[in-house]
Amino acid sequence: MPEDIQRIIERRKAVITTFKEDLINRLNLPYTAEDLHEDVSLIGAGLGLDSLDVLEIVLCVENAFNIKIPDNNTSVLRSINTIVDFIISEQDKQGEAA
Amino acid sequence: MRTVPLKNNLEANNVTFGDRFGIEIPLLTHDNDKEYGYIRDSVGITDFSFMQKYVIPEETALDFLDGLVAGNVAKTRFGRVLHTFLANDDGQIVADCFIANNDEEYVLLCESIVDDATLQQILDSQGAAEAECKNVTDEQIVISIDGFKAWSVAKEVFGTDVLGLPYLSIEMYPFEDTEIHLFRAGKTSEFGYLIMAPKELGEKLFSTLLEAAKKHKGGLCGVAIHNDLRLEGRFFNIFAEGMHVKDPLSLGLQWMIDFDKDSYIGQEAIQKRREEGLTKKIIGVSALGDCDSFTEGAHIMYEGKSVATVEAVCYSPILNRKIGLALFSVDLAYAGLTFTVEGSDDQVTTISMPPIMPKSLSVKLDEL
Repeated sequence: MPEDIQRIIERRKAVITTFKEDLINRLNLPYTAEDLHEDVSLIGAGLGLDSLDVLEIVLCVENAFNIKIPDNNTSVLRSINTIVDFIISEQDKQGEAA
Repeated sequence: MRTVPLKNNLEANNVTFGDRFGIEIPLLTHDNDKEYGYIRDSVGITDFSFMQKYVIPEETALDFLDGLVAGNVAKTRFGRVLHTFLANDDGQIVADCFIANNDEEYVLLCESIVDDATLQQILDSQGAAEAECKNVTDEQIVISIDGFKAWSVAKEVFGTDVLGLPYLSIEMYPFEDTEIHLFRAGKTSEFGYLIMAPKELGEKLFSTLLEAAKKHKGGLCGVAIHNDLRLEGRFFNIFAEGMHVKDPLSLGLQWMIDFDKDSYIGQEAIQKRREEGLTKKIIGVSALGDCDSFTEGAHIMYEGKSVATVEAVCYSPILNRKIGLALFSVDLAYAGLTFTVEGSDDQVTTISMPPIMPKSLSVKLDEL
């Protein structure tokens, strides 16, 4: 596999693993990391998380990645994958600024 | 073939009919763009009477249903709806189910990929007769109200109280002096309600809901447009990806399963596959450019080998490009990778789902 593709996969995999493990611990979800499909809806449908759970997600991202999700940014919170997109994008911005 | 109960009303509105597994369905109204617009911007009324419907008394429902479906029915509180699935002995998905805990009864609504008789056989094998599970499929109609303004129609017809209903809940409302079931349970990513009512009330209910929808610039929809809306909103669609893949784990439906449950149909097979680990999973894909070759069944290629099959595809008006779901090897099932489609130079990229932000997510009904 070409190095650039391998790099994209490894980076994404690392963020997904960290986020999922923290999410499962914080919310005491009855699933393993592999059980959680990255596209599953977090709020309402899918995992059906409530507003308190959403606060935990925001804290999870803040603590594990030192990244703040802006208030009321429900767009980011659609799924694990959309949160991971946001984290990677913010990491890139931080990298460029450094 | 089981025919559409509201056929006269639907024919009068130029609906074209199709069939799925021996069940007639109102497919489309000849204006796909309009139907899409009704639901994304306003409200669409769709006849969902194709669903199989069952009512089970509370006393026998728990044991019966818990032995049937993958989710935990016992944990579903009064007034709430469980979204889960029914599998066969091989752990392959057979029906996408809503199960409502409604006071002295449980209501089971199924979208299935088997005919009525086969589904009944599966239920019978789990003791449907002993549980007094009553098949009301031919006695009841189901109308779906979906859209950014679906709540306006529900409120107008059933009262302000509907605004307080959370997603996946059930309540009874009077209509023409009869108590009918209202499920807050859509799959378009906009607001959604399923109304189950006796067949005799069907025509009156249909015309009342359609008139209310028209006041909000909404209208009639066919079932086919829901395929596109579900894909855009990344809601599981048993009539698209679910018809081809069937393994709930590869489909990402683990959230519908209670892995601690004693038993349900297909549990052993599903548990075995879970322990062995996933080899394939379904993820989102987006076309880069026109991408004519990006169609259902197409192979997605990497280094000359097929690494995925396209299982569902639609054109997304919001994104102005084709999107789909493809079954990838797990080692490549990550967003942000670009591939080609077999037999062409067309390129697709893997994406995070859902790719759109539905308008309904910006509205808080309890604050209206």
